Amino acid sequence: MKKTVLIWLAIGLASFVLLPWHMTDDGLFDQGWIMDGVAATGLFGSLAGQWWLAPAGLALVIATILQLTIPEPVKRARLTLGTAVAGLFFMAVQGLIIVRAGPRVFEGLLTGDVIMAGQAGMGAGAGICAIALLFAATISLSQAGKGQGDAFVVSTIGLIIALVGIFVFFPVIHILVRAFEVDGGYSLTEFFPRFFHSDIWGLGCLIGPRSCGVAINSLFLGVMTGLGTTFLGLTFALIFTRTDFRAKTVLRVLTVLPIITPPFVIGLALILLFGRAGTVTEFFADMLGWEKTRWLYGFWGVYFAQLLSFTPIAFLVLIGVVQGVSPSMEEASQTLDADRWQTFRYVSLPLMRPGLANAFLLGFIESIADFGNPLVLGSGFNVLSTEIFFAIVGAVADPAKAAILAIALLSLTMSAFVAQRLWLGKKSYATITGKADSGQNAGLNPVLRTICYAVALPWAALTLIVYSMIIFGSFVKLWGYNHSFTFDHYIRAFGIDFSTGRLTGVAWDSFFTTLTISSIAAPLTALVGLSTAYLLVRQKFVGKDAFEFSTMLSFAIPGTVIGVSYIMAFNFPPIELTGTSIILIIVFVFRNMPVGVRGGIAAMSQLDKSLDEASITLGANSFTTVRRVILPLMGPAILAALTYSFVRAITSVSAVIFLVSAKHNMATAFIVGRVENGEFGLAIAYSAVLIVTMLAAILLMQLLVGTRRLRRTDRVQQTAKAA
Amino acid sequence: MKKLGLISAAALMASGVAAWADEISLVCSAEQDWCDQMVGLFEAENPDTEVLMVRKSTGETLAQVRAEAGNPKIDVWWGGTGDPHLIAAEEGLTQASGVDTSELLGWAQNMAEISNGRAVGIYAGALGIAYNADILTEKGIAPPECWADLEDPRFEGEIQVANPNSSGTAYTELATFVQLFGEDEAMVKLAAVGNNVNSYTKSGSAPSKAAARGETGVSIGFMHDMVNLASQGFPLKVVAPCEGTGYEVGAVSIIEGARNLEGAKKWVEFALRADIQSQAKDVKQFQVPSNSNAEVAPESPDLASIKLIDYDFATYGSSDTRSRLLARWDAEVGDPNPEQ
Amino acid sequence: MKDTQIGSVRFDGVVKKYGDVTALKKLDLAIEPGKLVTLLGPSGCGKTTTLRLIAGLEMATEGKIFIGGEDVTHLTATYRKVSMVFQSYALFPHMTVRENVAYGLTVKSVPKAEANAKAEEGLELVGLAGFGDRLPSELSGGQQQRVAVARAIVLEPEVLLLDEPLSNLDAKLRRHVREEIRQIQQRLGLTAVYVTHDQEEAMAVSDNIIVMNNAEIAQIGTPADLYEAPSSAFIADFIGDANLVACEVEKTAKGTATALLDGQRYSVPSPDIAPGAAQMVLRPHALNLAAPGQPGLKGEVTYAAYLGKEIQYTVETDVGSLFIISPVQAEPFKQGDAVSVGIVADHARIVAA
Repeated sequence: MKKTVLIWLAIGLASFVLLPWHMTDDGLFDQGWIMDGVAATGLFGSLAGQWWLAPAGLALVIATILQLTIPEPVKRARLTLGTAVAGLFFMAVQGLIIVRAGPRVFEGLLTGDVIMAGQAGMGAGAGICAIALLFAATISLSQAGKGQGDAFVVSTIGLIIALVGIFVFFPVIHILVRAFEVDGGYSLTEFFPRFFHSDIWGLGCLIGPRSCGVAINSLFLGVMTGLGTTFLGLTFALIFTRTDFRAKTVLRVLTVLPIITPPFVIGLALILLFGRAGTVTEFFADMLGWEKTRWLYGFWGVYFAQLLSFTPIAFLVLIGVVQGVSPSMEEASQTLDADRWQTFRYVSLPLMRPGLANAFLLGFIESIADFGNPLVLGSGFNVLSTEIFFAIVGAVADPAKAAILAIALLSLTMSAFVAQRLWLGKKSYATITGKADSGQNAGLNPVLRTICYAVALPWAALTLIVYSMIIFGSFVKLWGYNHSFTFDHYIRAFGIDFSTGRLTGVAWDSFFTTLTISSIAAPLTALVGLSTAYLLVRQKFVGKDAFEFSTMLSFAIPGTVIGVSYIMAFNFPPIELTGTSIILIIVFVFRNMPVGVRGGIAAMSQLDKSLDEASITLGANSFTTVRRVILPLMGPAILAALTYSFVRAITSVSAVIFLVSAKHNMATAFIVGRVENGEFGLAIAYSAVLIVTMLAAILLMQLLVGTRRLRRTDRVQQTAKAA
Repeated sequence: MKKLGLISAAALMASGVAAWADEISLVCSAEQDWCDQMVGLFEAENPDTEVLMVRKSTGETLAQVRAEAGNPKIDVWWGGTGDPHLIAAEEGLTQASGVDTSELLGWAQNMAEISNGRAVGIYAGALGIAYNADILTEKGIAPPECWADLEDPRFEGEIQVANPNSSGTAYTELATFVQLFGEDEAMVKLAAVGNNVNSYTKSGSAPSKAAARGETGVSIGFMHDMVNLASQGFPLKVVAPCEGTGYEVGAVSIIEGARNLEGAKKWVEFALRADIQSQAKDVKQFQVPSNSNAEVAPESPDLASIKLIDYDFATYGSSDTRSRLLARWDAEVGDPNPEQ
Repeated sequence: MKDTQIGSVRFDGVVKKYGDVTALKKLDLAIEPGKLVTLLGPSGCGKTTTLRLIAGLEMATEGKIFIGGEDVTHLTATYRKVSMVFQSYALFPHMTVRENVAYGLTVKSVPKAEANAKAEEGLELVGLAGFGDRLPSELSGGQQQRVAVARAIVLEPEVLLLDEPLSNLDAKLRRHVREEIRQIQQRLGLTAVYVTHDQEEAMAVSDNIIVMNNAEIAQIGTPADLYEAPSSAFIADFIGDANLVACEVEKTAKGTATALLDGQRYSVPSPDIAPGAAQMVLRPHALNLAAPGQPGLKGEVTYAAYLGKEIQYTVETDVGSLFIISPVQAEPFKQGDAVSVGIVADHARIVAA
């Protein structure tokens, strides 16, 4: 392991000496930086007067000397650890103090031409130095007897903490401090009256004509959506697992569709169907003489759209849980003379409790963070997510208000987490014991089955209608007014001039950017998410709860807040990323990571821990164990994490809107522009193409991850034949 | 362990890419088609320059420009209503372009004057009323002709307008009422109109779109947007209120600290040229161009025939007036949130 | 010194705490090379924790651990020369049997051909030659267990650890497999540490048994020692069946104690025990039933079960309910019969109360 430290130190030193320390305008692979000295290496910079770069290199040199000269392992490890940490500390300090415009603080002390000239953001040299120092520190830490002496585990923990720190906490702090900002300074006392203002928490709608506070609106909507999606998801899951319903495949597709639908599209389709001038409304008005109303605009419309959008998430959570309820427990109940209803009520349902709680929690969080549906359908019904958006981009920009509302939203999410934990308590809900279970799940009793069909089937039909309308809308000239068939929207978006081979459609650029960025972000998200899950499930370390909480944080923060905070944090040295595609990739990775973590935790909890332990006692280290035992067994979880992060990267909008740049525009930002412009046809056509693309990608991923298992079975069958 | 490191290293390497000199970074706050057209025209004229354009609303752009202050990634901001441009100018986020404004119409020069040359007017659009002819006919409601008509109970639940707290369009309406009727009277009138309002939307362009689709009967907004919708085939009729009306001036600004200042100036000059502004109508943009020699689309609301007030951008664009008027609006007109 | 030999295990004052909970109180033990030692005790007694400390899956809170004389206290499982057989077998379901057995070799970069050859040897040793291409799911429980053993021994570990290896097998198979494990261990001369809560299993396979209770060692000894000379009431009760009856020790001399029970004096072989209240350990075989009136404890048969080769009785007496096994007699006692229970003092033992 001494070797590993030395390898990292060597990599660090090499990059300090050979690679440009700062970001270069020409890119790393343009050889110009070697010649012109502007983008100098760390060593060159230190010698040329940028003395503040020296500590990093010095730390690397000292650490190397320590490694080579001190024979006693624990002492060597401790000293190396101290040196590396000091090096990292100085790197961070110089980066935060000396920016492009020179020093930010201590101007009196830091003088001289070179320092006043400032510096650009950190580049490849600085990045690799930092990583080398980090790993030198974590490996040394493990050698000093912490973390069971496992360098891989300690390094992974260190890396993830560093990443979460830089890409979640650092930017979020930028915006949250705004909540305490008053004219010309900061004040703690000002915060509370503003936070508890009746505009946020007011209950006026319960007692009088005034509207409720936005947080109350969000809370109410979130609870209703959480309950509604959980109920609907449960009926779908029950139909799937406990009945012999025939068209399960169709149902399955319907449950996937809303997840891969770009924002706004469901809202738009609902307006066109159920708005005052909508098709369905017109139909009932003509047939039954009902008055055409605007019921869709406001709470009910948003609720309706959210139910459509988020029921699939509840379904996906619940189907696993409903399947997981051990048949033998149900059979046991039936042999105790319970009828099917009693079995369901007193055995199955309570066993599904963690699943129900999870489904509710996800529905709740999705609902209060949802931005697209309230924007399109909310009308006068204000919720936190849209208020935050308009506090930032509205006619009266008020970042302090946005920050306060963001804190309100955050507190709602946190309360939901805590409530879930309390409700579940410490009871055991394990139903998968590792022993083969050969019984059959109890069928539903007739009343329950009827209820499930009566709820789920009309709902499925509605989803089907909504999506048919979307397809229909993309092929007609002007949806609602001129229904003559046309390819115009597709040609405008995705036209190709075949004579020259040029892509003339307006959507191509953003389409390719979106696919590229999502394809890069998805595996990274899965990697970070699953590594975190591995640490949380399989490793014991100090501060694990805080670690878990911090990895979940980014999920609870609304996208708009993340977007703006990313601009604030990463527009300046030391880490300057705005305008690049990296910032989009990073925002997706860290926003979607919590889902990878949750999925990974669920999957990893089902893998018996003795498998890892067997591998370790057989002489494999943690890394080999992960690679050869855990990963191959986590196929479905990896697939889920990949699919989800890929789809999320394509469909997310609120975080992205601030981060897209001319070079790197995203499909959703493009679609939002078109919707604002009233070009529904083009927006819907583009969405339809995205939906088809995502479906194809999901199938492809399923095929890729699935084939490995197939091949194994094939081989098994062959050898079985041979034998 | 090494794999993780390699990925991060790759990410850092890729991050070392930034704009070079023959690129202009443009944020466009006008309609997408217009943005695309402008970029195409500019690049055709300057084949060595690549215009990196992204479309963002004015609010989003202002938020971004503020967040990026000191190290902007944007060179030039073209299009969108003038207020945010003026705010950016006031906050020192933009810089004077020094272009020749002598060919421009009075209101465009006025804007450059107010902003010390930092924001220059590129088009104007008058505020107006739109109604869905199908709906009003079906319900037997006589179309509105004046602002005052909107107070009539016959429009109960039929009017949609944006909330001035979030929308610049609605703030223009508020300021127009104040300038037409005086501050106190304006609040009374707005409250009376408010009784007929079915919802205050967040976005300024939403009400007219809703009116076009028949989701509401009447909307208040900018007339060029309404004309655009009507030209798409919606049964939307545009009304210039009899009392007179206010207008917005779309602007172009160069961001303070722009990396490609030369390119940005080139763009501003280009955007003010008569032959360029004349082509806006080809992409169904019906604003009135600021260059006096530019052709005006026949569909455009004829500003000469509309009673335009002498909109005081300096006063009503200032933060103080804005906060005071919005506070009064909240208190006296308010958002009763009728949907709940 | 003995414990520097390859395969020895030594604990020096090892303490293991999880937060506030103490899983092991200051443990000292030494295991000789080549012996099969069983850690036996009720659940929660710390036996599995001890095993995992040897494996390196847990790290000691205090104290030192030596394997083969080398201090391994801070080494993780990866770097200790021990292998483990798990209760759940823990076979990798996505690998064939051969890949499973060769796994430990391949992670040590042994060339593939050599690893496969060794794996085949290992499989042969456990009688599974020719099963290499199957998946674990295609094997029976007993076969899976033997694969797990093969996988552990191909690495030629200094110490083989077995964590309740038979608990998932049915009773018949259990006896068979435990004999196999014992044979392999003896043939290869391995040091093995075996965890079980089943005292019969422990007695059947072990050279030595370490009985644990309440996070500490209760007694160490050969199976015979433990059965015949329990050091406490707990051991007496835990190892084999025993009737524990309160008695009064009057005096001890030369390894014999004079104890008063139900008004009778008995001379019971016993190590040093202080005079005063104590308990007499009466194994079921060490009690005789006779017609009433014979010397002994008066009682009444409350339950009698005929098991072919023997009869089991429960007899209610003044000193409590006694469990007695007696050979089949011509005229067995029936339920409700009044009897006299005779104590064979040579087979009784005295333990502290």
